[in-house]
Amino acid sequence: MRPFDPRILRVVPATRRPVAALAGIGVAQGIATIGTAFALAVLVVSVVRGQDLVAPMVWTGGLFAVRALLGAASEAIAARAGTVVATHLREQLIAAWSQRTIHQRPFEAPSSHLRTPPSRDRALTLATQGTSAVEPYVAKYLPALVSAAVVPPLAIACLLVVDWPSALVVILTVPLLPLFAALIGATTQEDTERRWDSLRDLSGHFLDVMRGLPTLVSYGRAERQVEVIGEVSQRHRRATMRTLRLAFMSAAALELLATISVAIVAVVVGLRLTTGSMDLLIGLTAILLAPEAYWPIRRVGTEFHSAADGAAALDEILADLDPHSPMAMQEDAHSPMAMQEDVHSPMAMQENVHSPMAMQGAKGGAPFGLPGTVSLAGVDYSYPGTERTVLAGVDLVAGRGLTVITGPSGCGKTTLLEVIAGIRRPDRGEVSAPEVHLVTQRPFLGAGTLRANLTIAGPAESTDVWQALREVGLHEAIATLPLGVDSPLGDDGFGLSAGQRARLVLARALLSPSPVVLLDEPTAHVDPESAATIGDTITRLAATRTVIAVSHQPDLAARANHHVRLGQQAVTR
Amino acid sequence: MSAHDLKEMRPGAHDLKEMRLLGLSRGLIMAGLLGGIATASGIALTTTSGWLIVRADQRPQIMLLLTTIVAVRTFGLARPLFRYWERLRSHDVALGDLAERRTRTYAALVPLTPARLGSRGRADLLTGVVDDLTDVVEASVRVTVPAIAALLAGITSAALTALVDPRVGLVIAGMLAATAVVAAFADRLESHAQTEVLAARAEVARIAQLSADHADELRSIGGTATATGWLTTAHDTLHATVTRQARGRSISAAAVLIITGVGALVSAALAATSGASTPVMALLVLAPVATGETLGVLTDATRAHARARACQQRLDELLDQELAVAHGVAGGIPPSASPGVHCPRAMQGLDHAPRLELRGLTAGWLPGRTDLGPLDLAVDPGARIALVGPNGSGKSTALAVLARHLDPSGGSYTIDGTDVTDRDLTDVRALFAIVDDEPHVLAATLRANLALAAPEADDEGLVDSLRRAGLGTWFAGLPHGLDSRLGSGGLGISGGERARLSIARAIASGRPVILLDEPVAHLDHPTAEAVITDLLQHAGDRSVIMVTHHGVGLDRMDRIVTIEKEGASHRAHQSIAG
Repeated sequence: MRPFDPRILRVVPATRRPVAALAGIGVAQGIATIGTAFALAVLVVSVVRGQDLVAPMVWTGGLFAVRALLGAASEAIAARAGTVVATHLREQLIAAWSQRTIHQRPFEAPSSHLRTPPSRDRALTLATQGTSAVEPYVAKYLPALVSAAVVPPLAIACLLVVDWPSALVVILTVPLLPLFAALIGATTQEDTERRWDSLRDLSGHFLDVMRGLPTLVSYGRAERQVEVIGEVSQRHRRATMRTLRLAFMSAAALELLATISVAIVAVVVGLRLTTGSMDLLIGLTAILLAPEAYWPIRRVGTEFHSAADGAAALDEILADLDPHSPMAMQEDAHSPMAMQEDVHSPMAMQENVHSPMAMQGAKGGAPFGLPGTVSLAGVDYSYPGTERTVLAGVDLVAGRGLTVITGPSGCGKTTLLEVIAGIRRPDRGEVSAPEVHLVTQRPFLGAGTLRANLTIAGPAESTDVWQALREVGLHEAIATLPLGVDSPLGDDGFGLSAGQRARLVLARALLSPSPVVLLDEPTAHVDPESAATIGDTITRLAATRTVIAVSHQPDLAARANHHVRLGQQAVTR
Repeated sequence: MSAHDLKEMRPGAHDLKEMRLLGLSRGLIMAGLLGGIATASGIALTTTSGWLIVRADQRPQIMLLLTTIVAVRTFGLARPLFRYWERLRSHDVALGDLAERRTRTYAALVPLTPARLGSRGRADLLTGVVDDLTDVVEASVRVTVPAIAALLAGITSAALTALVDPRVGLVIAGMLAATAVVAAFADRLESHAQTEVLAARAEVARIAQLSADHADELRSIGGTATATGWLTTAHDTLHATVTRQARGRSISAAAVLIITGVGALVSAALAATSGASTPVMALLVLAPVATGETLGVLTDATRAHARARACQQRLDELLDQELAVAHGVAGGIPPSASPGVHCPRAMQGLDHAPRLELRGLTAGWLPGRTDLGPLDLAVDPGARIALVGPNGSGKSTALAVLARHLDPSGGSYTIDGTDVTDRDLTDVRALFAIVDDEPHVLAATLRANLALAAPEADDEGLVDSLRRAGLGTWFAGLPHGLDSRLGSGGLGISGGERARLSIARAIASGRPVILLDEPVAHLDHPTAEAVITDLLQHAGDRSVIMVTHHGVGLDRMDRIVTIEKEGASHRAHQSIAG
């Protein structure tokens, strides 16, 4: 793994500033630390020679004050940079995520035994804990990396000016540190890798049985795990200690190496002092400067230990976000390839095939017909990774008014709506639709207020909100609530019956600015009274917008301006 | 095992109190001692080197310097050596502590599961427990040991310096005291902000999860921009709280340097007038600087301490809850009170579906709260019943009471005419196989994953249950059959396969009643339909009770029971599916 992945600056440009701030303050701290070594040397020499202390004391005091300020600023900047980078990564990850069609999501593909796509859980983990793990990487590891890159060269440069023989010793010994680290790493690598798998299994065991606790309890198998946990934890302890012993030993070896190197500088300086061929001030400065060339390098190793999770998460996140990464290429390969294969098919408007996203962006930009017209031509669709064609050669043109689609269960009605909405990209054929509002069978209702849920597609005036509620017959029920439209909803809609929920999401569709409204079984599982209200509202809605509803209910089909029957395989042309 | 045994097994408040934060054990003191020697060696290395250089400048005979040269070498060797030893000791102690806390916490959680883990997101809560335990234990390595080591080294440095010049010794002691005050202050600032930071992080995680989980639903209603707005708001709050929290760390980082600087200046002034030999003067100036450098670790310790404290608090709150199921409530007979009455054991190995009846049943997740009822419900053997109703009306509560994971607070619950509280808890629980919306796949072989529900079943039986759960084709494609490894590190498994595996477990268990709690809540519509269809087809003469509010599979049920939220009129409306 690279010590610093510059992709982060390219893929997430918002991280440039915080990373630059971290680097800047790291450089300033390095300069101040080296300055302190000079000031201290002068102070000590002044004390022992009984010289005037004012100037060296002012310098030393001043430098400690500057370092204190920089130290405080660096803690604050590091913490801030950590969250700024992590939050930008998260925002970008989720934004990229919500733009993708189902095809492009690696983990929506059914599992194959040859290649295991990152699971849905894994992706969610990336968006939550994964991005959070990047925080210590940025806040602690990057500053260490900066000081390792800045302080040793600076210290050596100062030494060269002050006393070149000492500098020579340092120049000859500093490279031994990374060399030694690499040697230790190489000789222990095989051993570490051999242990890594078993260590991962052991450390994962507790998390696994914890997450499985409800399942284990319900089958009465939890108690017997207590003993197993104790035993596995002890094995984990022993295995971890074996790995740690190696890590600590190599850290100790590096420290020893650094100490010996500084000692060599000291011996040379001491000999020259006793022979009188060197001034005390220069000797002391060299002794105080020399350690600055070594410890920042060792600190990188220590900090990397705690930032390893973040580095791994960052790797995965960047692979997902970076359009040039092999993984992203593979995703994109799905649909465009499928479309290119289609060149021989006698499709009229082949070059006009856009991605659904592009079409959604172009409001009302239907290639033919009136604004608000939905048109499908020769649409084929099969679920990712399966052979079964759900939609085959579907043609559909729907303008203002109510279009009701009926058909047997499993004929792809819901899929058809999702294709129109751009959530699924057809394998073949052409879809043209302006911005649509799709009311699914499981409409999203978040844990906010009623108002927040109703205005999720865009802000709306209170009067409009109440008007919409009146149209769906919910205004009386909501007016009696102490907080009215500002009453909170629980996750998935606390305390709403199926009928109320269906009417609420219809009110939301009324409030949305979309010229096209798609409804998936708007009256399923609701009481007859609600169904009638919903039917009336849909009729009124269809007077001004394009409404396409999928339904089993004969009542709704009777209200339709157009009635489309979807066959077992597909719509007949 | 009866409820009584379970209660006996549960570690009492006393045991849990022993697992305090930052407890001092002999191992930790030992590690702190070793760390103290390492740190003191570092201070000694700097100061004696200073002495040596100045002494060398006086051009003495090399022989006169030999003792000090040996001392410098010793300190130089001692520091990495003792540091290594300290790290080994402290990590070993911490891992031992972790092992113990894990075992105890798990044992304490078993009787609290599932009722006290909340009704949704249990897996996330349990993951949180794992992380919290690690953070709490980490505090011993990152707080206790460094603090002991810094204190020991500081006192040693002050005492030894005092032998040379008591005034400078006093300066170093003053530095220690000032650092202690700053550390306490910074710790308070950090801990205060910790609660806010945790809340802000939880909110960010909730919204991130929601946006990723419901990406399609949000997009289909044009809500993506709004959801992005929520995330931005949550992130802004996080920035603000993290910045506020960093103040404690900033103050301690700055204060330690200022204390060191002041200490160095005062010592320099004192050393100049001490009348000591010149090499000793150098030692006196460098001692406070070297000591101050070792106090820097406290900044990091503050951070670890605040986090560990918050984690410990969260764990305590979780583990201190009352049990959700006690033996002998609502007129039942506690076995200890009436030794003559035998718990009927006749139910063991029951292979027919029993008749379940709830009459005027009420229940609540927390004492004094009513989340369900009164509810009347009769489940005849082999019935297929859907429980629907508004969120919060108590559907999941009803399942928890049926499965004996939650005690009723009123009314009666009988199985084949006998009150459940008169029956052995383990036997009653063994009647029910539960399939919920978070089925867990253990990181183990497929066989082990199924056998946890059916320890006695043979391979043929297990494979049969896979087929009946609609996993026949999937199973046929597995490279190692029942020995294929699943879960983390094993085969990837889709949401639909996960739900089906959970159903296969339920079928393999042979338990006569299957309880489904939103089993397909996270699946797309066609998959959900297919999973439920397969289940109902293969449930045989088992009773099936399914909670749903998404309508999937309702048309295949015998009876749909709507549970309303209204208090008095809480009778279930029953209807025949059309």
